[in-house]
Amino acid sequence: MRDPQEVLRGVSRKEIWRYLGYSRIRPDSRVDGVIDSCLEDLLQAAEPRAVWRDFALRSGEDGSFAVVRPELDGLGQEQELVEMELHSRSLARNLDGCCRVYLMAATLGQGPDRLVRRAQIVHLSHTVFYQAIGAALIEEWCDEVNREIIREGRERGLYARPRFSPGYGDLPLELQRDFMRILRMQKEIGVTLTDSLLMTPAKSVTALIGMSETKQACPVHGCAVCPMGGDCAYRREEDA
Amino acid sequence: MKTRAKYGKEQKSLKTLRERLGKEWLFCDGGMGTILQAKGLAGGELPETWNLKRPEDIIDLHCSYLEQGVNIFNTNTFGANALKYPDNLEEIVRAAVQLAQEARHRTGREDAYIALDIGPTGKLLQPMGDLPFEEAVRLFGQVIRIGAAAGADLVLIETMSDSYEAKAAVLAAKENCDLPVLITTIYDASGKLLTGGTVDATVAMLEGLRVDALGVNCGLGPEQMLPIVERMTQVASVPIIVNPNAGLPRTEGGRTVYDVDPEEFSTWMERIAALGVQIVGGCCGTTPDHIGRTIRKVSRIPFRENTPKHRTVVTSFSQAVEIGPRPVIIGERINPTGKKKFKAALREGNIEYILAEGLRQEDSGAHILDVNVGLPEIDEPAMMGEVITRLQSVLALPLQIDTTDSLALERGMRLYNGKPMVNSVNGKQESIESVFPLVRKYGGVLVALVLDEQGIPATAEGRIAIARKIYEAADRYGVPREDIVIDGLAMTISSDSRSALVTLETLRRVRDELGGHSILGVSNISFGLPRREIVNAHFLTMAMQSGLNCAIINPGNEAMMQSYRAFLALQGLDENCMDYINTYAGTKAPSAVPAAGTAGAADGQQGSPAKDSSEQKSSGGMSLAESIARGMAESAVRATRQGLETTDPLLLINEQMIPALDRVGQGFEKGTIFLPQLLMSAEAAKAAFEVVKESMSGTAREVKGRMILATVKGDIHDIGKNIVKVMLENYGYEILDLGKDVAPEIIVDTAIREDIRLIGLSALMTTTVVSMEETIRLLRERKPDTRVVVGGAVMTQEYADAIGADCYAKDAMATVRYADRVFGYEAVDPA
Repeated sequence: MRDPQEVLRGVSRKEIWRYLGYSRIRPDSRVDGVIDSCLEDLLQAAEPRAVWRDFALRSGEDGSFAVVRPELDGLGQEQELVEMELHSRSLARNLDGCCRVYLMAATLGQGPDRLVRRAQIVHLSHTVFYQAIGAALIEEWCDEVNREIIREGRERGLYARPRFSPGYGDLPLELQRDFMRILRMQKEIGVTLTDSLLMTPAKSVTALIGMSETKQACPVHGCAVCPMGGDCAYRREEDA
Repeated sequence: MKTRAKYGKEQKSLKTLRERLGKEWLFCDGGMGTILQAKGLAGGELPETWNLKRPEDIIDLHCSYLEQGVNIFNTNTFGANALKYPDNLEEIVRAAVQLAQEARHRTGREDAYIALDIGPTGKLLQPMGDLPFEEAVRLFGQVIRIGAAAGADLVLIETMSDSYEAKAAVLAAKENCDLPVLITTIYDASGKLLTGGTVDATVAMLEGLRVDALGVNCGLGPEQMLPIVERMTQVASVPIIVNPNAGLPRTEGGRTVYDVDPEEFSTWMERIAALGVQIVGGCCGTTPDHIGRTIRKVSRIPFRENTPKHRTVVTSFSQAVEIGPRPVIIGERINPTGKKKFKAALREGNIEYILAEGLRQEDSGAHILDVNVGLPEIDEPAMMGEVITRLQSVLALPLQIDTTDSLALERGMRLYNGKPMVNSVNGKQESIESVFPLVRKYGGVLVALVLDEQGIPATAEGRIAIARKIYEAADRYGVPREDIVIDGLAMTISSDSRSALVTLETLRRVRDELGGHSILGVSNISFGLPRREIVNAHFLTMAMQSGLNCAIINPGNEAMMQSYRAFLALQGLDENCMDYINTYAGTKAPSAVPAAGTAGAADGQQGSPAKDSSEQKSSGGMSLAESIARGMAESAVRATRQGLETTDPLLLINEQMIPALDRVGQGFEKGTIFLPQLLMSAEAAKAAFEVVKESMSGTAREVKGRMILATVKGDIHDIGKNIVKVMLENYGYEILDLGKDVAPEIIVDTAIREDIRLIGLSALMTTTVVSMEETIRLLRERKPDTRVVVGGAVMTQEYADAIGADCYAKDAMATVRYADRVFGYEAVDPA
């Protein structure tokens, strides 16, 4: 895996523009200048961390899935313990044919949140920049973790599906509680959950990545799984 | 130790833990969670339920560690709190202690100590998260009361990754039992807590809270812990605990495995113990074998007691500032004395104004900020709590809590995330009796003013005598002498021309005779004189030369900062003069000295070395309208000032500012201007409005209407709401901003009390839209004539309709347009 700071430095300008709402038009040089300085602040403040683990995936009769963990019982016999149950039509299409699944969580740490809070006091317009650039950075970081997971899968002869997060399609946000517990996110990467299932630090992502033994195109990702159906300010042009 | 009877322990005359702690090797047990998982603990199954469901497994686990010879072993209560066990917490915790007692009995190890194991709540504390600090204290306190009553011998708080939560847990332990309190925190490979705290900062805070021992556990294997432990042995004075994992976790076919085997682990632990650690054990992945081998190896090597380090350290959640040979700057600007605007901000509860003052001082180079929010007509304890909490959510600098109100002092010290400076105690008996107990309890570096019932001594001799008296009081109250900083008292030379000499002599004698540290409110020295900063800056140099350790000044005062930086460079305290060069290279001396600064007594902020000049160059002579349209705040302010010389303020607003804002707003609506530009314009307009407002001295422009804005309950993100707020304000609305995570009752009560016609609500998450719906329902019931406009990331027209909102605003401009409609200011169709 590459050095996280180096990964973040490689963030795509176009993605930042997209999160700022510039879909077809390029921002002017003044806005670009603010992007530069806010990006630098964020790179200084970010402490990218990630944790991931892989599990066996068992499919149920009703289209549900179970994420299971093998353990040895007292007699040395392997038994399967269910870590997480997945009831989601959108995810079911994504996981169809998968035998294993990776759970991942990634964060930029508390630094970016602090920058946003400071900007709210002294420079409100910068909050929007920090938010947008932060979104691009966490996605960049997730992409790197995802690539690492794809690589791990390939070593074991497995093919990865596009990552899928709680809150996408009909995959319930309640799963965040399971992610917290299974990946021990507070201890490992310093991410906690509010009662309303919001992750803090804000620039944090959890996702599932299915693994199958056969290579199979998976059409269900990007704007296609979103209930907004690409009808929003952040749509990806290639998806819309 | 006055604990309840220890069931026959006394008869057998076994030593108490406090008698042994730090005097001989003590060994903790190892992994519990990982072993329970291997025994078949299912995903989602809470480990503590096994205290009731599978008690024999828990007893067996304890026995296997006791048989290896551990002295301290943990109850199975890591995750036991009322959030996870709302119904049967008492049963779970009591059973845990009983199982430990049973194991002790079965193994005949009555000499072993039962540690009530306390892990994190799993929640992040406010204001970053949603758990109030006092609620965290209460949750921990519940468990500790139950555990202590059931017979635990000590409280072991572990795996804390947030210093603030660690503080809540230690306070809860201290307030709910008199057992020894041990605590270990979890660091990452960079040597920091996940919330940013360094070893230095964490140790100083915990020692201030008077824990009996502290250390590190989990997260890392012994090898990766070495540098952290090494640092700990250099800064900690209390016994040190090291409980590593059996290496870094790795997954293998879905199972978590730890690679460091018992033999290797124990070899590492021998090395760690030899660094000067007093208590060792293990954490995740370690087994009785790991611990047994460790005990056998470590017992053979000579034991070393930890020694007092006598360091004077104040901390924030992340930074430790050492008070020592290198003088530190304490920013004095958060103080209402002589500041009209600051007083108004306090009265209006305008915390943002105070925060901005804090951020400015941080940028100017302050190391610590003094916080004084005393004003007769406000609730000072509440204000102190609020300001401290908010400041530490945006600032990384340690704070100095400055108040004469002991309730406000306690509130501030309690809610402070770190070890604060406390300003102040003096030689009066009453002051000593009210301040020292708080410092003993919460920890802090205490500023001691050398005055007493007889007033301020005129001689250095008299001042040193009071200093001695205060040091003696510190001894009595169990506050280490290094946590006292003597304020030599700078009195103006305009009334006594020898007063500076007395102060300087006091500083020298504090350093040379008392071996202590000193502090001064420097600018008092020139009170009543013209061009005060000339005297102040020179006096600062003289004071530092006489041993001054902390200078309370306005860090925005360039003359003072020049003295400070020059002193460091000259004194060999600025290596290669790097700080000096970085600050002043490429800057020019001002051609004329700016108007006299009455530092500390006026609102005027003097400029620091010229930066931000790029805009000035590129925008010279730009019109007000254009400045706003292009989002250039400085240029807008300049243009407004110029405009006011010749133009009526209202004309300026209506003919230049509003049309410019409108042009940008319409561009945004048409999609030719984007949110970043819209906001930059809004900020420029806001800055311009401020200038106009000042010139009209209070007579504000016409208010179109008053609105409430709030982010609903459960939602802690308020960026969108704040954007809407600044837009509405620019368009002439007065906003009652209720903040974030606001309960429906508060919103509705405010609407009724203030007779509000329009409320704007924001929600970021599908999970919090229900709070929005609840708020609207309550409003319809109790104040049906008020309209509601909603917005936020997940909001759609359908959603808005479904929850009964009057309007869905897709962005800030849409909210402005709707407000104009409600209040009858609908613009004529721009087309």
